Amino acid sequence: MKLNLTLNGTPRSADVPERTLLADLLRDTFGMTGTHVGCDTTQCGCCTVHVDGQAVKSCTMLAVQADGCTVTTIEGLGADGLHPVQQAFSQCHGLQCGFCTPGMVMASVDLLRRNPTPTADQIAEGLSGNLCRCTGYVNIIRAVQQASQTMQGDAP
Amino acid sequence: MNAPTAHALLRKEDQRLITGTGQFSADAQAVGMLYGHVIRSPHAHARITHMDVSAVRTAPGVRQVLTAQDVQAAGFGDLPNAVQVKNAQGQAQTVCTMPVLAHERVLFVGQPLVWVVADTALQAQDAAELAQIDYDTLDVVVTFEDATAPGAVQLHPQAAGNTSVKFEAGDRAAVDAAFAKAHFVSDIAIDSQRLVGAPMEPRAVWAWHDEVRGMTHVHTPSQGVGGMASYLTHITRWDAAHIEVHTHDVGGSFGLRSSAYSEHALVMLSARQLKCPVRWVGSRSEVFVSDWHGRALRLHGHIALDAQGRILAMRFENQVDAGAYNVYFSTHIGARNLSITMGGAYQVPALHMSSHIYFTNTVPVSAYRGAGRPDIAYAIDRLIDHAAHQHGWDGLAIRRKNFIPPQAFPYTTANQTVYDSGHFEAVLDHALRISEPQGLAQRRAQALQRGSLLGRGVAYYLEASGPGGAAKDQVRGSFDAQGVLSLHALTGASGQGHETSFAQIVENEIGLPASAVRYLAGEPEQDLVGNSTGGSRTLYGAGSAIKNLCQQLMTQAKPAIAALWACGEADITHAKGEWQEVGGAKRRLRFADWIASLGAQAAQVHAVGEATSGMTFPNGCHIAEVEIHIATGVAEVAHYWAVDDVGQVISPEQVLGQVQGGVVQGMGQAFGEHAIYDRETGQLLTGSYMDYPMPRAGGLVRHFHHETHAVPTALNLLGAKGVGESGCSGSLPALANAVTDALRQVGAPPIDMPFTPAKLWAAIQAAPKKP
Repeated sequence: MKLNLTLNGTPRSADVPERTLLADLLRDTFGMTGTHVGCDTTQCGCCTVHVDGQAVKSCTMLAVQADGCTVTTIEGLGADGLHPVQQAFSQCHGLQCGFCTPGMVMASVDLLRRNPTPTADQIAEGLSGNLCRCTGYVNIIRAVQQASQTMQGDAP
Repeated sequence: MNAPTAHALLRKEDQRLITGTGQFSADAQAVGMLYGHVIRSPHAHARITHMDVSAVRTAPGVRQVLTAQDVQAAGFGDLPNAVQVKNAQGQAQTVCTMPVLAHERVLFVGQPLVWVVADTALQAQDAAELAQIDYDTLDVVVTFEDATAPGAVQLHPQAAGNTSVKFEAGDRAAVDAAFAKAHFVSDIAIDSQRLVGAPMEPRAVWAWHDEVRGMTHVHTPSQGVGGMASYLTHITRWDAAHIEVHTHDVGGSFGLRSSAYSEHALVMLSARQLKCPVRWVGSRSEVFVSDWHGRALRLHGHIALDAQGRILAMRFENQVDAGAYNVYFSTHIGARNLSITMGGAYQVPALHMSSHIYFTNTVPVSAYRGAGRPDIAYAIDRLIDHAAHQHGWDGLAIRRKNFIPPQAFPYTTANQTVYDSGHFEAVLDHALRISEPQGLAQRRAQALQRGSLLGRGVAYYLEASGPGGAAKDQVRGSFDAQGVLSLHALTGASGQGHETSFAQIVENEIGLPASAVRYLAGEPEQDLVGNSTGGSRTLYGAGSAIKNLCQQLMTQAKPAIAALWACGEADITHAKGEWQEVGGAKRRLRFADWIASLGAQAAQVHAVGEATSGMTFPNGCHIAEVEIHIATGVAEVAHYWAVDDVGQVISPEQVLGQVQGGVVQGMGQAFGEHAIYDRETGQLLTGSYMDYPMPRAGGLVRHFHHETHAVPTALNLLGAKGVGESGCSGSLPALANAVTDALRQVGAPPIDMPFTPAKLWAAIQAAPKKP
């Protein structure tokens, strides 16, 4: 089945079997391997991308559902430099192995879009659909807080 | 957007990982790549009565179908078992190894049975559906009681009573004598339940065969290419010179990625036979039933004390579930890792341990973060805490009375382990000082007003960090024309940030900025000797070799500096990477400036650093305050304080990160994680993230406070002790002691992990006292 979408600012088209998942389209067809697949039950959130500006777990959406949509992956997030969320994840040591990180970052960016000044509890709740096995989440929550301050114009 | 600056990032690894440009094994694509799929056993124990894969072979896109016969025809052996021990009578352990593909029988749900290779992953999966396999199901055993019951179904004909070995360590007679004269005795049995390790990156491997060089290249996550290559050589029986392992980014490991699995061997075989690159990527559902599980231990501890509360002896009787086969480290865990520190941080005159290693119809067990160390640390501390309360003593006073005092180091335990250094009472005092002990009564009262019981648990752990299997660790260092130092070694990271810490060691030693150092792990440097990552040893193991390398580089440079300054070598000295002229013009020159001035000549400055590092003993005091909501049984960690003696610290942020991650993994085990098998069918009931409760953001710990208390070791060049696993070792007893303390307030007896809301609620409901 043919589909057209805008991927990280560039119009792209593909012809894939109907059952192809968006995550597989992004990884296998378009080579956007920053979108990671960590489970098959929509629990881990490693595959989180933005579809029309909203965070979506791309392993649970069919590729054809993204026909006509604007999709942003981790590779397209910081088109003109690192996004403050990306920087904060590094500076706060919010990643170790880095496998969950693209999904965490994409989910956090959407979280901050919806709530620019979240509390620690709101961040924890907002990221409860993203699993991390390395960090214990302590520094991830700190990173989102720092990014929030940066994006509000307060230097951390 | 803020303009990015390289130095604004904390670690060298981060740039690629936060931008999605890391190289994980499932990211690779190659021209002509084929895709493998494994048909797995749906039964826990069955005879295979009929297998017809002809429809699979003729399905669209299928290139190859392999069964056990094909693997045998290729000359492949079984998966490795790392250690074999003897029982107390000197008889060798019964080792039952796992075949790459099952033949005739299957022994656990998820066991690989048939291998299908097709043009696409979906075609391979679709074709697998066409296999016709008939099973004659057999009785299953998934518990110790069922496996060792008289008349129980036998998993392996050679393993009577489903027993692999009854291992013993220590001095049984001395312990019996001590118990006979003891004034007080106590005992407690604790479970360290079976866990799923679950690194976030599912297991993956791809391979291609280079016909020209006769080399099979294997790309996979590992903890070090050397270990992985040796296991692959063991299975395939191919010439080691014809296997090259490549490891790039690794999405978490925790012990699980040290092993070669069936899929590695199958990918390699297909790549050679089909002359195409072949890839296999496990789904999460698959790796739940095929990545080795962890823990699966039951430890029954006994303690004998004199009238003054001095420990006379300790004894542990362990049940060690190997799963269906002996793979890799289950024996190492059950025999060595449980026994080596079985006296903990205490002076115990007599020690004895028995470990009954047995088989069940479950996924084989191997290393998971700590691999027996957190389990024994947990058992020791629960035992001491339990004994103190049973006999009406202060738990801290008993610990202080029995600590190995600082003047006793090096200290040889009753079972001949030599601890090199430690100051346990100082670390305990440090932890108490920061953990606000004076406000406890008030916090308990406040918690009660919120409808919660607050329990406080103090734990002291000690663990052995791994000496490693290789005799030494080597690191090759060489410069390019830009003065960038490349470090090559075997040990591989999976989140520990070696690239950053190793660069910091170089910066500390010779003043080369971290930006001018790169670490290349996982490049096949087969002429180097070294250990894989494991046992929390890499920072001080390979790190010491880097320090030695830096020392050699300074020595090499000395004649050149002397020539440059036209003085004698005796007239120059160096400190922190800077050369100084002792007399004369007192000139100074930084090593980094000198190497940069050499241009292309810098390539001639190179060396292989090496170091032999002894086993170290990280230890620490962890204190937890846990609130249990009376109406729901939901537990929350209100405060967590940890003070760890991990020796000299190189990278404070990363040490903190390791402790936080380890403690939260411990919380996962303490409060929820449990790989549960159905006793009748042997089906894994917690087979996905939907029913296996991974720790999630928030909800678990409100305030986390960590400090280090360094008592350096002289057993490696850096004075570091290792930190990777201590978070698990400290948190299990601290959290369990806190929960036990909370339950004690309503008169409820201790219960076993995991402390799920249902169990806690039931314990409080059944308790004799009302809150």
